[in-house]
Amino acid sequence: MQVRTKGSGSPDVIQFFHVTKTYARDVEALVDINLQIQKGEFVFLVGPSGAGKTTLLRLIFRDELPNSGQILVYGRNVVKLRAGAIPSLRRSIGIIFQDFKLLKDRSIADNLALVYRVLGIPAAIGKRKVASTLKMVGLSHKAQMFPYKLSGGEQQRVAIARALMSEPTLLLADEPTGNLDYEVAKEVLKLLAEINTKGTTVIVATHDVNLVGELGRRTVFLRGGRVIEDRGQRLT
Amino acid sequence: MDRIRYIIEDALTNIRRSGWGGVASIATIAVSFVIVGIFLIITSNLGAVITEWKEQFQVTVFLDDNITADQLNLLRRRVQSEGAVQTVSYTSKEEALRQFKRELKGKESLLDGLGENPIPASLQLHIQDSYQTPEALKQLSTSLSRLEGVEDVMYGQEWVDRLSRIIRLLRLLGLSVGMALGLASLLIVSNTIRLTVYARAEEIEIMRLVGATRFHVRAPFLLEGMIQGTMGAGLALLLLYGAYQATLWQIGVTPGQIFGIGLGGFLDNRWTTGMLLAGAGVGAFGSLISVGRFLRT
Repeated sequence: MQVRTKGSGSPDVIQFFHVTKTYARDVEALVDINLQIQKGEFVFLVGPSGAGKTTLLRLIFRDELPNSGQILVYGRNVVKLRAGAIPSLRRSIGIIFQDFKLLKDRSIADNLALVYRVLGIPAAIGKRKVASTLKMVGLSHKAQMFPYKLSGGEQQRVAIARALMSEPTLLLADEPTGNLDYEVAKEVLKLLAEINTKGTTVIVATHDVNLVGELGRRTVFLRGGRVIEDRGQRLT
Repeated sequence: MDRIRYIIEDALTNIRRSGWGGVASIATIAVSFVIVGIFLIITSNLGAVITEWKEQFQVTVFLDDNITADQLNLLRRRVQSEGAVQTVSYTSKEEALRQFKRELKGKESLLDGLGENPIPASLQLHIQDSYQTPEALKQLSTSLSRLEGVEDVMYGQEWVDRLSRIIRLLRLLGLSVGMALGLASLLIVSNTIRLTVYARAEEIEIMRLVGATRFHVRAPFLLEGMIQGTMGAGLALLLLYGAYQATLWQIGVTPGQIFGIGLGGFLDNRWTTGMLLAGAGVGAFGSLISVGRFLRT
């Protein structure tokens, strides 16, 4: 596989070169990771807890820095990114979590409104965006409800809607189905796959191998901070 | 533009949610500023007295009631020839009484019991700047008191000095008490804001994840502190003004009437603006302390 480091021409959205991440007391979270993910791919990161999935995702949105190695996102070296450039990186990445991270003290619509406020988008445009995004995840009728009134699956769909508010070209999901029943989990994955068909690159970290099998997508297996298998990789 | 609006809205939401903590912040700042303000009012009024005194009666030569016109003329020329004396003005017994009555406005009846005019005529001397030292004035007054027709010589220098020292002391006291209280307000504001930072920890995390800038995360807290500080200082000014008016009413005078000089004034615009700005500053600084400590990135 060809490796290019310049962003513009490369089909790779994410490139890891010999990335190692060690936490205090020599806990090796990731060891010498080399990974390329192309634009428009749907990739599962699979492994038991502690395998390094979360760390890998956090390195992508620059929540962590590696001890060594380089990471390019959209061709930009996030390891060398100055602090002031982090917000613009994150605006191009949608992130969802196992625990949804919705704000309990405000309605679904207001949870989404937070994004356009952060982006400084005028309220009139922002509100329209909230409405259309909620419609896309099928929750228009619950816009004024508070998160606790919603089921787990619905809450995760709200979280996905929030991640989509900034129209990211990359969506990172950390155990998005961890708190959900099997059937609901499948629904959520279906929604992520749908988003993927519109051109958004999607990376889903999960420990649930059964779920992964059904979709038949590229699957990167992690164990002890190392990539032990990369199955179904699309070749250029 | 919208970004600024969102930041202001966030700051106001913070203040609303901070509840009693916010009230405590504003109240502490108000208390500190009331105390500083009291010192300011007192010292600026005393300062005004001193300025008046320096201008008005640096040395007063009281004249013998039996002095003749010739003696007076001679005395005036003699006094005028003193190197220390800049100008000399004469106040007759009648004029002195009229002035006194003016100062007693409304209470002239106090003088009714007096048969004869008890107030002596006098010469008011303005002293050259270079002679305005306690020693020079003492020397001058001794030599003047020996002259014929002079009953007594009074000079305010000693009082001016004493008062100046008192004012300096009061200013220092006010400043140190104010600083101590300012520090206390700083801690309380920073604590209140720390609580709002805690309360919004989740929201801040999400804001960062969706790409909020450092400025956007911090600005609402900074603004919250500044608003609390300004409100505290404003409240202090209102309390001070209320107390000031009540005091004037209690002693039954209007500003400027006391001694007919600049005494009894409230803080001027420079000081009130200064206090409001200082309030904003304390609030902003208090908020920076906690935001800096709890939002490292």
